[in-house]
Amino acid sequence: MMLRLSRGGKLMVAVLMFGLVLGLAGAGAAAAAAPELRLVPNEVEIGSFFEGARVELQGTIPPGAAAVVEVLGSTATEELLRKGRRGGLWMSVGEIKVHNVPSLYLLQSSSPEIPALTGQETPWGFAALQRAVQLSGMVAAGEQAKFFNEFLELKKHERIYRVLPESLKVSAGPEGASAVRGMIPLPAKVSPGKYQVRLSAVQDGRLLQQQESRLEVRMVGFPAMLADLAYQQGALYGILAVVIAIVTGFLMGFLFKGKTEH
Amino acid sequence: MWNLYLPIAGNSINILLLFGLGGVVGFLSGLFGVGGGFLMTPLLLMVGIPSTVAAASDSNQIVAASTSGTYAHWRMGNVDFKMGFLLLVGGVIGGTFGVQIIKGLRALGNADFVIKMTYVLMLGIVGFYMFMESLQALRKGKVMEPKKVEPGKPSIYVRMIQALPWQMRFEKSGVTFSVLLPLILGVMVGILAAIMGVGGGFIMVPVMVYMLRMPMHVVVGTSLFQILFTCINVTVMQSITNHNVDLVLAVILLVGSTLGAQVGAKMSRRLHADQLKILLASIVLIVMVQILVSLILSPAQLLAYKGGH
Repeated sequence: MMLRLSRGGKLMVAVLMFGLVLGLAGAGAAAAAAPELRLVPNEVEIGSFFEGARVELQGTIPPGAAAVVEVLGSTATEELLRKGRRGGLWMSVGEIKVHNVPSLYLLQSSSPEIPALTGQETPWGFAALQRAVQLSGMVAAGEQAKFFNEFLELKKHERIYRVLPESLKVSAGPEGASAVRGMIPLPAKVSPGKYQVRLSAVQDGRLLQQQESRLEVRMVGFPAMLADLAYQQGALYGILAVVIAIVTGFLMGFLFKGKTEH
Repeated sequence: MWNLYLPIAGNSINILLLFGLGGVVGFLSGLFGVGGGFLMTPLLLMVGIPSTVAAASDSNQIVAASTSGTYAHWRMGNVDFKMGFLLLVGGVIGGTFGVQIIKGLRALGNADFVIKMTYVLMLGIVGFYMFMESLQALRKGKVMEPKKVEPGKPSIYVRMIQALPWQMRFEKSGVTFSVLLPLILGVMVGILAAIMGVGGGFIMVPVMVYMLRMPMHVVVGTSLFQILFTCINVTVMQSITNHNVDLVLAVILLVGSTLGAQVGAKMSRRLHADQLKILLASIVLIVMVQILVSLILSPAQLLAYKGGH
């Protein structure tokens, strides 16, 4: 059955068709121009049984390049205690503030060693982190490097700052590009917030391209409810905690009383 | 598997491990009348709980263990409520002073030195004295109740406390002295406990035994009664000001500790007073040695997070 259209109708169809063709062409061009960096999932939920999570990373880089991935948490200032000797005994002797500290720092690469850039400062790794971080408080000018290393040791010990070489796989990808795949290991200690994931392609000490993506970690369900109550209704939360403790204490007393009397 | 996420601590921990920790510390609490904070907080730090959350959640857990323990001891007639109340009032006053002292010391910059030295000295003196005294009694094989004072030659201490006004009879403990004495001793223990950042059970128990001359079994029950109120106060205050009580952590610990406290309370009835004292003295001395070693040996890391004991 033929559909008969008026002149105005024909014009509208023509405009729509043209728009559709343009749109498709634009989308295709965008896909070819911007290399992909996908995170699956890009939202991680912390529920009652959260034990850390593994986020799958998929990206593309130019053929022959090595891949470097950085996962960065939001920055803040941390107050730490400095240990020292007093009267021959080790104890806290003062505070050191570490400014501009990311809550998480993971560095992954496809190569056995983390690639470095030649002729310019490498923008990733602990050396780059050291340039961004400032120490203040009970720390002399000559001690900055020493205490930055102490700070790193503390974070590495907790596994929230990690370097993982050879944890990314590079294989031949579509249209002459290389496909990058890997797993981002988020520890159980990961705090809720927004995380930046940056994929860099490096070849012969040169940075070829960089792509960024966002990862969000959220507390959900019972932990979220409890954390909200603790931070927003402190008094109510405290009383609830005490009541639960007293009731359990008595309950256990009654249970044991029953057992001993029989 | 068996892991649970702790929303305030921000970490995932094995339930069975926490349950076991609660059970062991609760057992000691029911057995000796101590809160066990001086044991639990370092253990929680070792399993990856931030120090501030460990200390605050532990006090919540102690509320349950001491309720369970006080109840068990009350049924056995081992709680001197009058004495406990006076010590508690003294403890609150002393605690308020202690907090001010620590504030002053922090401003001067040597708070940690004073805290650590108070810890080592108190644990050392209390542990050593209790250990030697109970060892002697056990060797002689006699049933020694410290409340019995030699009638002919009262010591300076006895003469001093007899001279104090407002003498009162404490039926449950079988002692008579001024109401001022438990108040003053409560203030002293309160100051020390606030400086050290602990409940003070392990100082209060020897004070009751040696200075208030109460029978060991009444000491345990009365100490638990007093700890219960101290820890209710700490839990509510920490929840309001610092938001670092982790209810999930506390509930797992307290299920273990209330069970342990019941077993401990029963066991305390079976053991001789001197056996109880020598066991507590040994634990106190072990903790003292552990702190002393950490003070002498170079630490693995020169930076640490704030908070805790």
